[in-house]
Parts: sequence; C-alpha cells; structure tokens
Amino acid sequence: MMGADQSRSVRSVWTAIATVASVQLAVLGYIVFDRVRLLSAGREIVLDVVPVDPRSLFRGDYVILSYDISRISSALLEGKLAKGAPLFVTIAQDAADKWNVVRVAAELVVSAMPEAGTAPAAKQVVMKARSDAWRSAATGDRTEPIFARYGIESYFVPEGQGLELEQLVGEKKIKAVVAVGRDGTAALKGLMVDGKLVYREPLI
Amino acid sequence: MWGYQGRIERDLDRWRDAGWLTPEGDARIRAELALRRPRYGLSGALAVLGAVLLGFAAMSFVAANWQEMSKLARFMLLFASIIAAYGAAGALFVRGLTSFAHAALLLGVALFGASIMLIAQMYHMDGNPPDVVLVWAGGALLTGAALGSNPALSAAMLLTCLWTGWEVALTSEVHWLFLPVWAAVTAAMAWREWSAGLLLAGGAISVWIVALGYLLSDGHAHQLVTLLGLTILAAGAVLVQRPLHLPLQPPVIVGFGMAIAFAGSLALQFVEVVSTGRLIVLSALTLAALLAAIYWGFRTGMRNVLWLGYTGFSIEVLALYFKTIGTLMGSSLFFLVTGLLVILLAAVAFRLHERQEAAGGGLS
Repeated sequence: MMGADQSRSVRSVWTAIATVASVQLAVLGYIVFDRVRLLSAGREIVLDVVPVDPRSLFRGDYVILSYDISRISSALLEGKLAKGAPLFVTIAQDAADKWNVVRVAAELVVSAMPEAGTAPAAKQVVMKARSDAWRSAATGDRTEPIFARYGIESYFVPEGQGLELEQLVGEKKIKAVVAVGRDGTAALKGLMVDGKLVYREPLI
Repeated sequence: MWGYQGRIERDLDRWRDAGWLTPEGDARIRAELALRRPRYGLSGALAVLGAVLLGFAAMSFVAANWQEMSKLARFMLLFASIIAAYGAAGALFVRGLTSFAHAALLLGVALFGASIMLIAQMYHMDGNPPDVVLVWAGGALLTGAALGSNPALSAAMLLTCLWTGWEVALTSEVHWLFLPVWAAVTAAMAWREWSAGLLLAGGAISVWIVALGYLLSDGHAHQLVTLLGLTILAAGAVLVQRPLHLPLQPPVIVGFGMAIAFAGSLALQFVEVVSTGRLIVLSALTLAALLAAIYWGFRTGMRNVLWLGYTGFSIEVLALYFKTIGTLMGSSLFFLVTGLLVILLAAVAFRLHERQEAAGGGLS
C-alpha cells in the first residue's frame, strides 16, 4: 500500500540524495577544473630545489621541496602585513636564469602579474605565499628571515619511491617546473634533474 | 540510557513484588520504556563501523598512490563509488532499512574526503592542509542536514575539531572560525533533537574554551576560562529551574560549565606560577565550589553534577598533594584544616538531615 504520502517521501529522499551527491561531486569537479586551468594557462618557471623525504598523514609518500626563494630576507618586506594575510613575493630572473626574490608585499602588484604565453622578456613573476611573517612585521623586527610557503612544497610519489627520488637527486641538481596563475597561485608541473624532465604530470 | 533501563527494570520487579504496582501499570511502564530504546540496534552500529573501515580503506588506497591504475582511473573509481554509496543509501531508505542507509551515507562522506585527498595528491597541492578538512566537514554537514543523518553529523563535528586542532597546531593562535562552523553543525544536531550529538558538540566547545586559556594573553587567560565556565554553569542552573523542552538536558549544560570552570581553575593553580598565599586562596575556593556542587548534586538528584564534583575533588586534592603548599609541613597543615572543616560540614549536613526527617521533609 504505497499511498500518496509515501511516494512523496520517497521522492523527497531521492531529491535530497541527488542534491547531496551532486553538490559534493561538483565541489570535487571544481577543484580539478581549477587546477587544470592553472597548469595549462599559468606562466611556466623553473625553480631550484632541495628535497627531503617524509610521509604525509593522509596522502602517502611525498618529497618535501624547499626552494631558494622560500627563505627571504625581512629587509625586502614592504609595508605592513595583516594577521594571517598572504604574502605576494615578486621574483626576477637574473642573467644565469636563476629566480631571486626582489620584493615582498601584502598586495598583488598588477604590473608584474604573470600572463599566459607572456614572452620571457617579462622577467618578473609574482607568487602568492603563506608565512607567519606578520608576527615579525607587527613588531617591526627586520632581522629574522621570512619562510614563505607557496603550496608547491610537496611532491607526491608512489609508495616507497620517495627515498629513491631523493637518492637520485642527492648528487645531482634538481629543479621544479612550476605554473603560476594570474593571482599568483603556484602549481607543480614536474621535476627536472640535470636539465632533463624526469617527472611530468599529465593534466588529469 | 542502558544503565537507566537496567536499573528501572530491577526496580519495577521489586515494586511489583512488593505490591506497589498493578500488573497493568507495570505493563504500561515497560511498554513506554521499550519505545525509548535506541532505534539503532547492534546491526546498525556494526554497519556504521563497517562504513568507517571502508572509508579508511579508500583513504589508504589513495595514500598508496598505486601506479597500476592511472590517476584518471583512480579518480573515476572514487567518483563512481560516491555515486554508488549515495545510491545505495537512497535504495536502503526506500526499503525502510534506515540504519543501513545511514551507514551508506557515512561511507559517501568518507569517499568524498578520500577524493579530495586524491585530487590534492594528483596535483601535488600543498596549500593549507586544514582547508581540505574544512571542505570535507562541509560535505559531511550537508549530508547530515539534508538527509537527517546522525553519523554524518558526528563526522562533521569530528572533522570540524580536526580542522581547528590542525589550524591551532600550525598557528598557535585562537581559531575563531571554529565558532560559526561549530554552531552550524550544532544547530543541525539540535534541530534533529539528537542529544548524543549535542553531548559531542558540548565536549568540542568545552575543549575549545579551555584552550583559550592557553592561547590568549600569551597563555595566561585561564581566569577568562574559569569565568566562561561559571557563566555556562549559571545558565544551566537557571534552565534547570524552568520546565523547558530542550534537546540538551540542563544538568548536562551545568556539567560542561563545571568541567570548563574546573579546568580553568586547575590551570590557574598548577600551570601558572603562583605564590603560596594565592595558591591557598585559589585551592580553598575550588574545594569549596566542588563541595557546593556535591551538595547541590545530592539535593537535586543531578547525578552527573555529583560525580563531576567527586572527580574534581579527587583531582584537586591529588594535584595539591603533588604541588606541595610551600613546604610539606604546610601541605600537611592545609589538608588537616580542610579535612576538619569538611568533617564539620558532614556533621552539619547530618544534623540538617535529621531535623528535616523529624519535620517530615523528604530530602535525602
């Protein structure tokens, strides 16, 4: 005896189920879309790195990548920083094609924004970073260096291969291929050893 | 709840045997008790635990970063599993197998989390890890609120706590954003009148408040914690007097207030550096408050207040013993004086009790 009430409640259960599932799938889809867009349209730069190997709580083995541009002199910091606010780090390429930090600020400098397909002549890129620099900025202390995190510090490798990768790069010099978006967000595209691309991630 | 069921059933047997209860009254009371039994039996509980295990299987699968399957294939597999879990939940609801349906919903929530982790791994995303947990908590809250799922709501609460704990561990700052998210999950629990969930919510906010003492004013805000605890306690005490229908029993609110105030007071006495005089004043006040709570628990029959009072008393006395008041002789003197005072109180209580008995009062 399936009355009108019952069929309505059955319908509402399915409506709720469909809503929940589609919202969650849409969230996942959006995260993927956002990344793919950044990786394909972002400005590509190559950074020098120093890796070490730990293991992520949730996501398996990974190699921690630390960059030359991760440690910044506080003297380069311009203006004040709000608590917990992101940092915008302007980096410039020198004659040896190495990227160095030239400016750190609390706002994005539009003129130095990376553009998709920009000619390498534009030798500056702004990268968004997180750091606890606002603590020293608040006290006016400009002696401690700033440790900036760009969100490209973890490179995930198949279980057990983290050490292998680390050994591989132990003697040789490793570089990271990074895509930087219009808002300064960075994403890892792959790793280079001795100028050769050893890992390149497919978009999906 | 189970303890209460067992106790009342034993009492019913006794009352019926004594002839105080008619067989009809006995049957009616037992019928009402049967209605109050938890709706999820053993099978439902096992199904939920099974879903938790499957969720961990999915997370470990992601963590293994298995290369035999392409990223895209792994991603599609998780996508399909989410659809399958929610689809199964719908089918089980329609068939009236609600406890299994809730287990399937919980699995859907777990797979949603595993998928976020997989995406983070696929793209080597290393932003702010707690953000991932917040998105996951949001998904769990959506499932819990839209489908009236208690297991999903408890997952949302636990994930909210994980999110805040992680943020605090990274920044050593008070995580204020905990409050709106906690309030949203708690509101969903209160709307469903789910008292066990509200206990979890109460525990979560209590820990958050106690942590304020260690995070605000360079870690010296325990007075504020004690004050907040006493305020919650007072609010609960006011509610105890009112015959309001609340999803969370007022004595439980009183209990949380007591626990918070006591945690703050313990930190004031034993975490902070205090002079002997201040320690004596603070500990005397704490002991007096705990004795008052024990008395109040006895008077009103609020068992949780009574037991929290006993537990607090034991912790306080042990902590004082280890801390030492000035010298060991000082401690000895303190315990002697307080011991004599408490025995004096016992004698007063006994007299009062006798007088009430004589006057025909029924307080015990």
